[in-house]
Amino acid sequence: MTRPAVTVERALWWGPGLVILVALLLGPLLFTDFYLSQVITKALWLGIAAASLIFLAAYVGMISLGQVGLYGIAGFTMANLVQADGGSPAAWNPWLATLGGIVVCVGVGLFFGAIASRSYGIYFLMITLAFGVITYYFFAQVTQLSGFGGVNNVDRPDIVSNPVTDPANLFYIALGVSAAVYLLVRYLVRTPFGLALQGIRDDPSRMRALGYNVPLLRMLAFGLGALIASFAGILSVWWNTRISPGSIDLTRTIDVLVIAVIGGLFRLEGAWIGALVFTVLDNWTRGIDLIGQRFNTVIGAIFLVIVLLSPGGLMGIWQSVTDSVGRLFSRKPPTPPPLRPETRPAGESPQTS
Amino acid sequence: MRDGSDGGRLRLWALLAVLILALASVAAGCGGDDDDGEAAGEETTAETGGGGDTGEATGEPIKIGVFANNEGAFAPFEGQTWGGAMLPLINRGATPVSGDPTDGVENAVIAGHPIEFVYGGSDSTPDKAVEEARRLVEQEQVDILVGPLSGAEGIAVANYSKEQPGVTFVNGISGAQDTTLKVRSPNFFRFHNDGTQWTAGMGDYAYNELGWRRVVTIGDDYDFPYSQVAGFVAEFCAIGGEVVERLWPALGEEDYSSFIAQIPDDVDGFFLAVGGTGTVAFVNQYQELRGNLADNIMGGVFMTDPVILKEIGDQVVGVVTAGMTAGDSQEPAYLEYSEGLGEAYPDLEGTASSVFAYGYYTAMEAIAQALEQVDGDLSDDHAAFRDALTNLELDAPLGPIVLDENRQAIMDNFLQQIVEDQTGDGIPDVKTIKTIPEVDQTFGGFFSPETPSPDRTNPACEKADPPPWTQQGGGDG
Repeated sequence: MTRPAVTVERALWWGPGLVILVALLLGPLLFTDFYLSQVITKALWLGIAAASLIFLAAYVGMISLGQVGLYGIAGFTMANLVQADGGSPAAWNPWLATLGGIVVCVGVGLFFGAIASRSYGIYFLMITLAFGVITYYFFAQVTQLSGFGGVNNVDRPDIVSNPVTDPANLFYIALGVSAAVYLLVRYLVRTPFGLALQGIRDDPSRMRALGYNVPLLRMLAFGLGALIASFAGILSVWWNTRISPGSIDLTRTIDVLVIAVIGGLFRLEGAWIGALVFTVLDNWTRGIDLIGQRFNTVIGAIFLVIVLLSPGGLMGIWQSVTDSVGRLFSRKPPTPPPLRPETRPAGESPQTS
Repeated sequence: MRDGSDGGRLRLWALLAVLILALASVAAGCGGDDDDGEAAGEETTAETGGGGDTGEATGEPIKIGVFANNEGAFAPFEGQTWGGAMLPLINRGATPVSGDPTDGVENAVIAGHPIEFVYGGSDSTPDKAVEEARRLVEQEQVDILVGPLSGAEGIAVANYSKEQPGVTFVNGISGAQDTTLKVRSPNFFRFHNDGTQWTAGMGDYAYNELGWRRVVTIGDDYDFPYSQVAGFVAEFCAIGGEVVERLWPALGEEDYSSFIAQIPDDVDGFFLAVGGTGTVAFVNQYQELRGNLADNIMGGVFMTDPVILKEIGDQVVGVVTAGMTAGDSQEPAYLEYSEGLGEAYPDLEGTASSVFAYGYYTAMEAIAQALEQVDGDLSDDHAAFRDALTNLELDAPLGPIVLDENRQAIMDNFLQQIVEDQTGDGIPDVKTIKTIPEVDQTFGGFFSPETPSPDRTNPACEKADPPPWTQQGGGDG
């Protein structure tokens, strides 16, 4: 009963995704050790950080600049709890420390979510930005926990292995966690809780009139975002073997925002697409003669181009491409484009075929 | 949501172009199936003269990565680092590619081997420094890496060097004590003194010459100023002085007013270890809030940097500092080095005494001499080359440099005073008032791998056996 246009469109939409997935599964065979570790794995955990931002932005309407601060809390907590150079002298089991990092991060996320839950729009943005900056200075100033030099040689679970000599393990772990986060979010947004969050995104006062506790739901959503961010934080520490305030400064906060916007601020897949484009560009431009020290200009210019021409980011472009091609394959005379899950053109009558 | 109407079609194609560009970059970066295949399409900077038409360059090319800071508080000094690094090659026949030192040189040859330079840059954070080091070592496959620049970066890169035994790491100018004293990496070499060694003689001068007894220290809140303050505190307190308070503004801070307000009125003086772009900001703000600065401060190594003197020179005339360079030296070797730098890069005229230029110069000169000693033989994980480096007695322009058994330099330290302009260029000059010979990393016995790392409170201000060069320790005060 599905129309050919829809079938083609679905194939176009998911096809490249599957190709990329297969390529990633064969990662260690296709890429050099360095590229796998420094570019692909980095893109995976940065993608998770961006996903926490996109989850909040796309499904709850909360654009938060505090996700980097949150993943920093998870990372620093874990780094301090295990054996390392710098930070506290505790030497826990790495898995327990990981759990500790996640718990602390979610706790702080819920606490901060409670404070910020009644702020909207630009005010929410600023308060989360302030939170991120405070976190940076906290770890820069409290030398018992970090200091400027950070925590080095962080102990990791045996299964993770040395990211310099043996990057395949961490790569697969990051891949697995990315997939889990993606599936988790996709599942969650179809639950009553997820639908309530989307209701809050669309119209908080109407939700309040219906009897939902809007601040509580926003707080919980923020806590969920913190959970996702904590995974990114833990992975980043294993990837770097260290963490320092420089890992969570304003530059990194902006990096994650740039990634989310490049990928598509309202599409979850955009997190990883944006992260991949960003890390590949960052790595590639540094090695080019003509660009040399000006790599930031190149990245910024590309960001600007994408923002100006396609507010939906790369996923927005992909959406347009699949739509256009889908229309080409449609056997019907010119009809309104097939309805997509998230949109319904105003005034259109429902499904006409 | 918009549908793909005509207006959007142009945008669509424009963005497809961007997408294809991005995908092409992925394809270019992928490289081969082998673990050690180099990334195809990667370009290196400043390659040797193409075509190999120099008759002498017959050996295998040697790749040397050089990186300093191209972002952050120390970015303005990048030209000096590269100028210093390229000078040994220019003295051996290479030609600068342009007036910008970071563009590198052509026709660089050492011991018959053509030298390829690869450019890198970080931003004074350890994360970025290690990322760049990894890119240069693992992706660009350099044989030797020169860098990094900043204190915290040095510790992180020295730790990383332990993972790459096949590459030789020579420090750029990062000056934290821990980088060699604690990390002790077997393939990491530092051909200049650390931040602590650079303060040798200052505590003695403050106590005995200036008559200071109560002092406040102010330094950026990271490893390198910790090392500088540590040296000053160790010496000053050992001979009987008291450090009343230690203030630590964040690196890159622009508003020092709250810290200036915290300086008590009843201290004799203060030791300033604020660096990078902060030195200028601090001095200017102090002038506004408290007045004449020169009477009661002693400065860390950044005070005498030519770039800094150009900005604030008049305000700091009279200040005493110390470091490993003596800008007023008239030794022929130093004049040759200084003039050579100015000739090769006119923009760097007058900056030869900058530690940034000197540190990278000594690093590259040491590498060149060691390579010449072993005829460029880097086989067997650089065994012969590292042996040559370890035993090298470098006849540097400002005095000999040797390494201790932990591959850390031992060299002279110069106590200097900033004086009125004497060369006629309108910028105050420095005058060397004392030379402390052969300062080693233990600072006369104070520091060892077991002593706590310098930080906000370590070392404690305690009376102890004074270092040998102080008056109390038997030196010729």
